[in-house]
Amino acid sequence: MDEFCTKWQSHFLSVLRIMTGLLFLEHGTSKFLGFPHVEKVPETLSMSGIGGILELIGGALIVLGLFTRPVAFLLSGEMAVAYFFAHAPRNVFPLLNSGDAAILYCFVFLYLFFAGPGPWSIDAMMKRK
Amino acid sequence: MDLTTVAKNWAPRALSLLRVVAGLLVLQYGTAKLFGWPAVKMFENLTWTSLFGVAGMLELVGGALLVLGLFTRPVAFVLSGEMAAAYFIEHFPHGFFPVLNRGDLAVSLCFTFLYLAFAGGGPWSLDAGREQT
Repeated sequence: MDEFCTKWQSHFLSVLRIMTGLLFLEHGTSKFLGFPHVEKVPETLSMSGIGGILELIGGALIVLGLFTRPVAFLLSGEMAVAYFFAHAPRNVFPLLNSGDAAILYCFVFLYLFFAGPGPWSIDAMMKRK
Repeated sequence: MDLTTVAKNWAPRALSLLRVVAGLLVLQYGTAKLFGWPAVKMFENLTWTSLFGVAGMLELVGGALLVLGLFTRPVAFVLSGEMAAAYFIEHFPHGFFPVLNRGDLAVSLCFTFLYLAFAGGGPWSLDAGREQT
């Protein structure tokens, strides 16, 4: 069992990276491309709008696994900012300030910064050449 | 020391950090559902044997074990399945996109736990302590 897990661990790192990237990308596209359609679209140069640019470009790069480490570092920081500016003032508990996703993304990206993109990524493809 | 060495040394510790944070987030849902702390309106008058109650028990016990890093792999596997169920029962009917059905956290926890089931608890865990003895 341990052998099986060790063998597949790095592939599931890539799966985690791609899923997290897609969730992120979706927030970016809903803010900028109107897809999926959401009620409140922020101004481009507002805090949430700049967050949207990072989510759009950063999310896409994370899905592809291109420049994973620096991008993940940046997005981890963005999520920390998002948590403390948008969620923390509302309540101490992440359950009540709806900031749990921001916290989780922050630490997933921090982990990706250290662990890298895994085998299913453009970064890994370029290294193999 | 170059950045690759730093990353290699710290990746397992960052894994433990991720495990503790994800565990705490889930634990919070367990205590909210079963003990009413923090108080959430939706979870008032919840019976332990209802679907939410059972989910709460998994979150309480599973979350605590993940924070400690005890039996990380099996616990993470069970919680990953719970999050998948939570997503499809609670969120998916409200829309296809996680932005709209508010299922971001469930999806993201599901895949984080799935990864933990493969990667284990990292060095800062009771599992790692058990292996040493």
